[in-house]
Amino acid sequence: MNILLQLVYSGIALGMIYAVIAFGYQLTFQTSDTLNFGQGDALMLGAMVGLTLVNQGVNYWVMLPLVIVFGMVQGSVVERIGVQPAIKIKSEFGWIMSTIALGIIFKNVAENVWGRDDLKFPSPLPEAPMKILGANILPMEILVVLGAVAMMLAVEFFNRKTIYGKAVVATFNDRDAAKLMGINTGLVITFSYALSSATAAFAGALIAPLTLTGATMGAVLGLKAFAVAIIGGLTSGLGIIVGGIILGVAETTTGFYLSTGYKDVPGLVLLLLVLAYKPAGLFGKTAIKKV
Amino acid sequence: MMKSKSFTVAIIALALLGAAPLYLDNPYYIHMIGTIMIYAILLFGLDIVVGYTGQVSLGHSGLFGVGSYTAGVLFFKLGAPLWVIIPASIGLTAGFGALLALPALRVTGPYLAMVTLAFGTIIQILINEMDFLTEGPLGIKVPKPEMFGEKLTEHGFYWMVFGLMVLSLVVVDRILKSQLGRAFEALRGSPVASDCMGVSVYRYKVIAFVVSAGFAGLAGCLYAYSEQYISPNTYNFELTVLFLLAVIMGGRKTRTGALLGAAIIVILPKLLDDLEMFRQVSSTLAVLMLIGAAVGLVKKTTTPRAMAIPVLGTIALAAFSFWLQAITDWRLSIFGLMILFVVYYLQDGIVGFFRKLFFRRVNLAGDYHGVDLGKDAITVASNSAHIAEGSDLLVAKGVLMQFGGLKALNNVDLRIQRGTIHGLIGPNGSGKSTMMNVLTGIYVPTAGEIAFAGQTVVGRTSSDIALSGIARTFQNVQLFGEMTALQNVQVGLHHTFESNLVDVALHTPRYKREDQAGVERGLGLLHFVGLGDLANEEARNLPYGKQRLLEIARALALDPQLLLLDEPAAGLTAPDIKELIAIIRKIRDHGITVILIEHHMDVVMSICDNVSVLDFGQKISEGKPAEVQADEKVIEAYLGAPAA
Repeated sequence: MNILLQLVYSGIALGMIYAVIAFGYQLTFQTSDTLNFGQGDALMLGAMVGLTLVNQGVNYWVMLPLVIVFGMVQGSVVERIGVQPAIKIKSEFGWIMSTIALGIIFKNVAENVWGRDDLKFPSPLPEAPMKILGANILPMEILVVLGAVAMMLAVEFFNRKTIYGKAVVATFNDRDAAKLMGINTGLVITFSYALSSATAAFAGALIAPLTLTGATMGAVLGLKAFAVAIIGGLTSGLGIIVGGIILGVAETTTGFYLSTGYKDVPGLVLLLLVLAYKPAGLFGKTAIKKV
Repeated sequence: MMKSKSFTVAIIALALLGAAPLYLDNPYYIHMIGTIMIYAILLFGLDIVVGYTGQVSLGHSGLFGVGSYTAGVLFFKLGAPLWVIIPASIGLTAGFGALLALPALRVTGPYLAMVTLAFGTIIQILINEMDFLTEGPLGIKVPKPEMFGEKLTEHGFYWMVFGLMVLSLVVVDRILKSQLGRAFEALRGSPVASDCMGVSVYRYKVIAFVVSAGFAGLAGCLYAYSEQYISPNTYNFELTVLFLLAVIMGGRKTRTGALLGAAIIVILPKLLDDLEMFRQVSSTLAVLMLIGAAVGLVKKTTTPRAMAIPVLGTIALAAFSFWLQAITDWRLSIFGLMILFVVYYLQDGIVGFFRKLFFRRVNLAGDYHGVDLGKDAITVASNSAHIAEGSDLLVAKGVLMQFGGLKALNNVDLRIQRGTIHGLIGPNGSGKSTMMNVLTGIYVPTAGEIAFAGQTVVGRTSSDIALSGIARTFQNVQLFGEMTALQNVQVGLHHTFESNLVDVALHTPRYKREDQAGVERGLGLLHFVGLGDLANEEARNLPYGKQRLLEIARALALDPQLLLLDEPAAGLTAPDIKELIAIIRKIRDHGITVILIEHHMDVVMSICDNVSVLDFGQKISEGKPAEVQADEKVIEAYLGAPAA
């Protein structure tokens, strides 16, 4: 029983990371109907840059905002090089391929800069587990959950309460109308990519002390976060948290009871099933396509 | 004539390729060319999905792996011979393709890309974990196959691969030039229009994917024999991306492009092992780019802004190459850069680029001598002939279409008499086009019944409804842009084909007969709407008015009993409108019932037998044109009520 509870705890922590990355997918999808296929690599870069900063003697808590800034710059670069030209020529194939290409480049650069081996990220919090309801939980796991929720709330607050946020929401609702109202929609889309990569980089710095850090850590995380974004629906904020937790718990339990080799399978199968039977997600609304 | 010339060149090139072992003694090169041909088989298949149906598949390295492991496991566990293994690999991989396609192809674009990526990842995990079957990370050793009781030599294997590659080339080429290929291309051009031409988008996407998977299976199987050792790590994400790079860099929708792409992704990594060569290549590239940009700027065909990124990019690449110590570590970055370059600056691939460069004016009317145009191209589904005119063909009762709180159609009744032209008019936003979409199954009405020729329409798919005899045109033209005018009409004729994949691959008499009949009728229909001289012009290059006429020809190809015309006169000049009126009359005279949505009142009033008027989703008037014209409610809807 305790083991199960413990698996649920780690599952929730992992799930919240998926939720944050999925949140990043939502941000860009809302403004431009595009996604960054290199989202996982944005997360990996965040973790790597964070690790370098910490190794240089920068305090973990000071490092977090720096990583967020780095993520914003990285996201803007992705948008300017990979997405904007494709939106201009209205090529779906274009942005899918170019964000994949950028993701590969980032991964390859990271391999060359930081090496191919997984690195240990020093934990900023005590590594001794605490007992809650009789099961062990790491302080870092609590931090991950809190940090993820805080990040999402901050972006939501920005979108709902500030005039810039309203521009984002307006662009989401009708890109052309927003443009005619004097909103620089191109800038809004760039900004949404900056925010999206920033959340991913932040998630990377949060999860790194719990896992190992390496150039290949991003790919599967990004894919499973997409599963979460689909399960939750690309437009539902609550959906991704629920979806993230479902997937996180499914994964830790599979890893324990079946084999760690299979731990990625439930998420991917869930992705296939949800897309097959309810493409708008469990929480999203089905939109009727106008002809 | 031109065709036979390029055919000769292709035969000579293939003969040189086939004879390669006779003049190349180096086994290293023989193996390399063999690998290129194996990849080419996969790329022929991948091009069906990427080039023709326009979907991104990131799952093809997974399918390639399924093919390899089918061969590996069958040999390792059962010692199965070659003639069992090849069909088994193709069949099983096609089965996996279907397993993926049946659920996944309900979605498109980025969703599909992610799903196929997930599929590829699952396959790799399964190969790794199911070691009781696949030996896991250890991999499987596969010796060269036996044929006629003797083990094949390197050369023998090369010729076997060559033979299978040529066979695949011919089969793929035949499939893509048949009605199946046209269906694949149509669903990329306009999914909605495909469905409304009786070509089910979902069905043909699945077929395309399954055929594509079959070729991936064959390639995978040959790869296992060629490498003589397979392990899970080969079939990873990078390989999938390489395959995509090969398809788009070589050139979509060409077999030459697939061969070229295969050569690039096999040879390039070997070239990249040589740092000196890479430095030379990147410097040359930077110089060429600089010259190209300068020429472009002088000729004013480009702007400094547009050229800044590629010029700086290539110079940076050259600088980077001199800074580098070892090149192999940066292989993936270079592939990534190549993808970016191809996506934005070489969209038609190398083959497409050269085609444009040596552009030759094609004969727009086409060489169709000896084609009999005397026959009447329009036929009507035969069962309608013996039913008396004046009976009801279509009866809609209480149709309600709700979008959220908005009732786009509110309790509308409609009776369409056989053999008449029925006008449907009303101010903008009154629900006319919504009615069309409900009748053709694009929307499912919230409530109400629709019966067409005694059968209910509600709940059936668009393609099913289309095949039962309702054809339509679209308000915003929905042609298959990259296809020629004739091909557009041929998609409408899809229902006349009964030949299956085997007929197409073998060019059986049945297929040849049907294909010939299709060309004849297609040309006949084009002549009927006055586009006979433009049969070989791509639809997107036609002027707007002609595009609308082409839509009518395409709809007629469906042999409809009922034809829905959605604002056919929009954007037409006065003489064109006159011609259009004559065409619509002729269509009616052939016994086809017409529903006409139109804003040009003179058109409506002159040719319609009956007119229904919609306003805010409700039918406010119905009757003979003159009666409707005099109805106060109609005048009020169009011009507003007089002040009280």
